[in-house]
Amino acid sequence: MLNLTKKILLAFLASIVFSLGVSKTVNSKTVEIIMAAPDWPPTRFMQEYFNSSFPQEGDTEIKLTLDFIPWDNFYTNVAASLTSGEQKYSMIVSDSQWLGAFIEGGYFQKLNKYIDADPELQAIFDDMHQGYKEGYTTYPYKSENYYGFPQFPDNYVNFYRTDIFCNPEENAAFRAKYGKKLPCTYADWEIVVWDDIFDINEFLTRKKGEMMAGKPLEDDMFGVTYQAGKAYDFSSMQINGFFWQYGGDIWREDQQPDAQAIGVVNSDINVAALTKYLDLLATMHPSHKTGGMGIFEMQALYLEGKIASMINWVGLGAPVVDPNLSKVNDITGYARQPGTMQDDGTISRWANLGGQPFVLTTWMTQEEIDASFKIIKWWLSYDVQIEAVKAGGQSCMKSIIYSDGYNALAPWNAAYVASMDWQKDVWHIPEFFELLTQQQEEFDKAITGQQDAKTTLDNIAEFQQELLEEVDRIQ
Amino acid sequence: MKRSSGFLAWFMDPKRRGPMLIAPAIIVLLLVNIIPLMWSFGLSFFKYRANTLKLPNFSWFYSYEKVLTKDNIWESLQTTAIIVAGSVGMQMILGFLLALLFASQFPLRKILLMFVLAPMMLSNVAVAIYFKLFYEPEFGLLSQFVQSFITGEMYVLLSTPAGALIGVIFADAWQWTPFVMLLVLAGLVSVPKHLYEAAEIDRMSWWRKFTTITFPYVRSLLLLAVLFRTIETVKIFDLVFILTNGGPGTATETIGVLVYRTAFQFFRTSNSAAMGYILLFAVIVLTSLYLYVIKQRESEEI
Amino acid sequence: MKKKAIGQSGWLWTALASVVAFIYFFPVLFIILTAFRSRSDTLATPPKWIFSPTFENFYHIFFRSMANSTEYVATGFHVYFFNSIYISGMSVLLALLIGTLAAYGFSRHPLRGNDTYLFIILTTRMLPPIIVIVPIFLIFRITGLAGTYTGIILMYTAFNLPFSIWMMKSFFDELNTEIEDASRMDGASERSVFFGVCIPQVKAGLAATSVFALILTWNEFLFSLLLTNKLTRTMPPAMARTIGGEINVDYGLLAAMICLFIIPIFLITYLLQNQLLRGVTFGTIKK
Repeated sequence: MLNLTKKILLAFLASIVFSLGVSKTVNSKTVEIIMAAPDWPPTRFMQEYFNSSFPQEGDTEIKLTLDFIPWDNFYTNVAASLTSGEQKYSMIVSDSQWLGAFIEGGYFQKLNKYIDADPELQAIFDDMHQGYKEGYTTYPYKSENYYGFPQFPDNYVNFYRTDIFCNPEENAAFRAKYGKKLPCTYADWEIVVWDDIFDINEFLTRKKGEMMAGKPLEDDMFGVTYQAGKAYDFSSMQINGFFWQYGGDIWREDQQPDAQAIGVVNSDINVAALTKYLDLLATMHPSHKTGGMGIFEMQALYLEGKIASMINWVGLGAPVVDPNLSKVNDITGYARQPGTMQDDGTISRWANLGGQPFVLTTWMTQEEIDASFKIIKWWLSYDVQIEAVKAGGQSCMKSIIYSDGYNALAPWNAAYVASMDWQKDVWHIPEFFELLTQQQEEFDKAITGQQDAKTTLDNIAEFQQELLEEVDRIQ
Repeated sequence: MKRSSGFLAWFMDPKRRGPMLIAPAIIVLLLVNIIPLMWSFGLSFFKYRANTLKLPNFSWFYSYEKVLTKDNIWESLQTTAIIVAGSVGMQMILGFLLALLFASQFPLRKILLMFVLAPMMLSNVAVAIYFKLFYEPEFGLLSQFVQSFITGEMYVLLSTPAGALIGVIFADAWQWTPFVMLLVLAGLVSVPKHLYEAAEIDRMSWWRKFTTITFPYVRSLLLLAVLFRTIETVKIFDLVFILTNGGPGTATETIGVLVYRTAFQFFRTSNSAAMGYILLFAVIVLTSLYLYVIKQRESEEI
Repeated sequence: MKKKAIGQSGWLWTALASVVAFIYFFPVLFIILTAFRSRSDTLATPPKWIFSPTFENFYHIFFRSMANSTEYVATGFHVYFFNSIYISGMSVLLALLIGTLAAYGFSRHPLRGNDTYLFIILTTRMLPPIIVIVPIFLIFRITGLAGTYTGIILMYTAFNLPFSIWMMKSFFDELNTEIEDASRMDGASERSVFFGVCIPQVKAGLAATSVFALILTWNEFLFSLLLTNKLTRTMPPAMARTIGGEINVDYGLLAAMICLFIIPIFLITYLLQNQLLRGVTFGTIKK
């Protein structure tokens, strides 16, 4: 018996020694960059393409290891890792809104001195689209302090069913009823404003068994759908766009400490914008009543052919064209999301910027920093960006998005590029999550019909004013 | 037996046998549990945010005051209480009924019992994800059932505060009813058969038999089940976070969700530590009650 | 009905219990069936109960398609599988060793304040883990244990200790001390009383304790998510990749993973049915 115990103890000790040995097999000639990344195609592509085509030069081998973390737990994992100070990651894919929180914590590295010293990096910065540069790299927002590079730029497009919207009979019926065209082509959608969506949704909301586009429906059908979910930022992103399109605003972090929350967030314009958002929502698929119309839930409905159109991130486009995942892979068209008609006859299309930059952390050695910049230059080089776009990724480098043939690389590229000049970002301050969570809760109450737009925005404005005064961001 | 001398003798002294035996366990727990607890207890008296470089600032009971004077903690405690009451209550009733069903010997009992015990073996995350699917208005079984047999409209259970609470309670109760069943079952099989035989001779009504014979044997176990499940349900997090995300609005935001948000999203580190200690206090009270009942029960048996 | 509650019942009772068990088991059945369904069958309306089974989901646990093509690459799930076995095995073994000693101590050589110690030990197990996670991080940083096997094994050992101590104490408490006293009279040393007399009597207890500890460790999510890295990650965090990557929840893939998880647990539970109650109450309730 005693011997057995000793043996077990020995085996255990041996295995600890073994495991320590295993974790220290990195060659001294290799610089390994470990990057925290969400587990989805744009980051998987980065890893796979790096492994197959990164040009190694000199005697130090650069190794890029992406630590893939499920999206659902990504934020928690990164936040826990950073605040614990375990210094596990050299690079991190970060949502743009997280910048402030982690920069103020001393975790993300300011890049200005490296950019100033390196013309190649300057060229990259100059080449980035202005709105995206501001969203992905600056902190404070729109300042000259740079922190990140684009990993996956993203914005909204409208995914729609061409078999329905381009069906001649449906088109004729729609014209007969509403006296206007049911939008079918990209150009048709360019003149669609939110008010038109009322008609489109009324027209396309049909019961199981009714005819649509020449066939009886197997299930209830609904028209255009957009985000209205409680989780993360799944209603704020769409609602912010409505505020901006109507000429309203959110609290302006780039105008501290003068910018106010009360009077701005709950302005009459914003109340009207939110009311419009809620009225439109009432014509959409009832899933939003659970507070569960997040970006993925909406995508699942669209892929299964339960809704005729969705306004969603380009980043979720790849599965739409994948015949294994999508029932609408060959009958989807892409357009810009609808806008709001302004007094001068133009259409305002402001929307909230999506996508993620990647950043460097503050504890890297000089060797690691050098290696990281090699990786960044490689990733943002023309050929690699083109390959990324082909694989479902995106770019915000002007030399690439405005180059010939770019729109042909992916079916949604035209809509993506045309939307780029209409992006603004939500706050980047460290208190971001608190502002967002409270706002999401209030929006959710409005979406699920528990309170009206005015009450909702009053509550939000009051909370923001109090919090922002407490942290000296409003005087 | 040969006697050693010096340190070894001191070490092997029978007086120290008890402490020596438990020393390794205490050391491990001290390192991995007690010290972190003390650390975060200390933290709760400072003003500190984990995402700033500002050093922690000693502030006495500021965090506690801050936490206790805000409405959201009372609201979330109330929500937690509703969920605990609903879920534990449902577990007790269903668990009792299931136990009555499985108390007797019948063919295939052991295998059928396995099917009933299965939910308890699933991870919380799995239960949450599939119940979300079951409740989903388009693809969910519940909605499809209501749509095709009752109203003809999609049914959106999670859209109202009451519906969301029911959804959470039902899923949690489903998963943990087998636990209560096991406890009650243990009580039922411990009832001596001769008592029932005697009752049969006295021609007692089944209700009287139940109250005078069966119930006394399961009473303490029922109490233990309530306490144990309450301790576990107070901590509920995964299920709520995935199923409703605390919504609609804040209708299902439990204390567990609130602590998570405060610690990892708002980085109000000391506030979350203070909340954690309030939660810990509740757990300590419940655990002592639990152990007290166990002691009572053991002494009764002797 | 009631009068037959205790005693022998026949096939009629079996039929009734089968119906109840089926209704109760239904959500689990749905999950198991989902593991063999394609995605469109899972999301079909009305639900499809008859479908052609596919093993694709099980294949996709171990291989996923590359980002840009139809080629497949290994997901590394076999590594997580190994990690899960290695980490839970090691920590259970360690917890059992330390826990059994401590349980024996608590049972046979009570200290002053024995109950207080036991109470504190149980409380550490009842705690919401979220309370200690931040300081644990700090300690892991100071000691450099984050991401190592040693770190997570130590963590899980502490996680399993309270359980092991309470379980094993309940088994030691049940033993008849007269046998031990008799062998002491015969001149046996304390060591041989422990190894020669007590341990052989609690073999079943050791088995039950280790199995339940194994199940608890096997399912643990939060610590593994936060304290391991790519090389040391266990299966539960790997399961989370089925949620919200490029599509909404990959129900089939998740169901397939759940099936792999649940089969061993199912078998073990069946074999240990008599110890189940003690297992789920951390050894506090014996019968």
